[in-house]
Amino acid sequence: MAQIAERRRLAQLPRLADRRTVIAVGATLVVVALVVSVGDPGRIAWVRTFFVIFGSLLIQALPFVLLGALAAALVEVFVPIGVFEKLGDLPRPLQLPAAALAGIAFPICECGSVPVARRLMQRGLMPSAAVTFMLAAPVLNPVVIASTFVAFRGRTTLWTMVGGRFLLGMLVAIAVGWVVGNRSKDELLKPNPEEVDEHLLELGRPEARWRRFFVHLGNDFLFMGRYLLLGATIAAAIQTFLPTSLLTGLAERQVLSVIAMMALAAALSLCSESDAFVAASFVQFGPSAMLGFLVFGPMVDLKLVALYAGTFRRGFARTVVLVAAVATFVGALWMGVAFG
Amino acid sequence: MSDAVVARAGTALRTETAPRRRWSPGGLAGAVVLAAWAGLFWFLWISGREAFYLSTRTDWVVPIAAVLLTLATVGRLASARVVVPRPLPARELWIMGLMVVPVVLVLFAPVTTLGTFSAGKRAGFSGAGFSASAGDIGSGELTLIDVAAAETSPEGEHALAKRAGDTVSFVGFVSIRDDTPADEFLLARYVVTCCVADATIAEVRVVNVTPGQFENEDWVQVTGTIFPIGREVIVDASDIAAVERPDHPYLTP
Repeated sequence: MAQIAERRRLAQLPRLADRRTVIAVGATLVVVALVVSVGDPGRIAWVRTFFVIFGSLLIQALPFVLLGALAAALVEVFVPIGVFEKLGDLPRPLQLPAAALAGIAFPICECGSVPVARRLMQRGLMPSAAVTFMLAAPVLNPVVIASTFVAFRGRTTLWTMVGGRFLLGMLVAIAVGWVVGNRSKDELLKPNPEEVDEHLLELGRPEARWRRFFVHLGNDFLFMGRYLLLGATIAAAIQTFLPTSLLTGLAERQVLSVIAMMALAAALSLCSESDAFVAASFVQFGPSAMLGFLVFGPMVDLKLVALYAGTFRRGFARTVVLVAAVATFVGALWMGVAFG
Repeated sequence: MSDAVVARAGTALRTETAPRRRWSPGGLAGAVVLAAWAGLFWFLWISGREAFYLSTRTDWVVPIAAVLLTLATVGRLASARVVVPRPLPARELWIMGLMVVPVVLVLFAPVTTLGTFSAGKRAGFSGAGFSASAGDIGSGELTLIDVAAAETSPEGEHALAKRAGDTVSFVGFVSIRDDTPADEFLLARYVVTCCVADATIAEVRVVNVTPGQFENEDWVQVTGTIFPIGREVIVDASDIAAVERPDHPYLTP
């Protein structure tokens, strides 16, 4: 019996990488290189389109993930524990708006804000505030507001778009933060296996800061990078095959047009610093639908959902998507009617 | 981490001043992934291939990423020697390998751009905020971006209409659809603001073309007379010359 139990225990342990695994991984990469260089699958139009979009999404987003990981590692190593806990002393109605407005000082797009928010939670910032910051930063930062201004300059809806994006972005981020409420970080964050690193075993004396910095930088980048890869694959596949003209037929129906543009924003997975130019190209759509696109896209898109799924527990990722969707939809409709 | 391990590590530290460090498999594998991505960004920067993925507005991320990833690789390697290395699960190694696949694709696949396959799926470029002021379009050399932007605002349309009969010269690729007459084609160029994922398309209709002379995705320079008709712009070609694909195949507004 004891032997059977021991066998079962061993069977449940993950198989460890050995020399054969290293050779198999290396050989697979060589085969991929041979197939793409000799076979030239790019001759097939859709494969070529997929490669270009997939490559561009990663090449554009990974540096921002790296910058986010860099900021997160700085927070982890150089910001003393307890600094963020003091923010909890603020009255609750002020905490979330303050967290949202902090995004103004953080000109980084959505891929970078996820690792930073995760690290802020781990360093003691209230999870509701960290989530509010994570969702607001990609919409409220000055680069995004400036690009929205440039994209809509010369149109009668200019200030509805610029002001509406800022205001609605902040409100939606606060709404999601409010729903998070008093849940603890352990209820929200998935454990990262890489976090239990070997340096924790050296508790006999403090590990050098530079070592901890680089370990956290690498771990965060590699952790987020794999989910970005997954999200970019799905987004590129959808971009390759989805004709945007499918949606233009819905432009005349106000309610459906908002849903359609929000769905498009989620599918395209654009960077928040450039999405205004794409939104502006849909001249058939009204201001509500445009706002839906501009506010929802930087908070929920395919690559972000992959990042959320890797960072947060499943229920929480679902909550973010649902609350952001409902709040954006209602807010965009209202703003479109009131100011459009 | 078990208490026994911590206790052992703690005991060892009390008796030895400098514990012996060994390479961590996870640290090394992570360094290889970081190095692969650093290498890719250096390659993109040095070869100028970033123009096939990013606009000139955002290509600054490439050198920054190259430098930062190189530093991250060096730092990861320098911190990869630890006292008690944790074994690396095979699944984790496969995931790390997967993260290198995009590097292999970009490095080894032939250089390519968006072509006619996407032309019908992309929204038309609209950039009233950039260039469609009556002043910009009313005088000076017309660019493909000016023309495309002018088509999406009444002021731009009006200003462009005044340029009817002017001579223009545009570079783009040939796009022939099922319903395109034999003596015409669409001259197209993608407009990219950030990366290719946000590409929109700028197109003009070229008439007076020798049937069969050009195929889809041939790069050409069209010189001719422009005739804006409502929201459509026609160029009556006087000369069409095949050209090499530009180093910057996408336009940046």
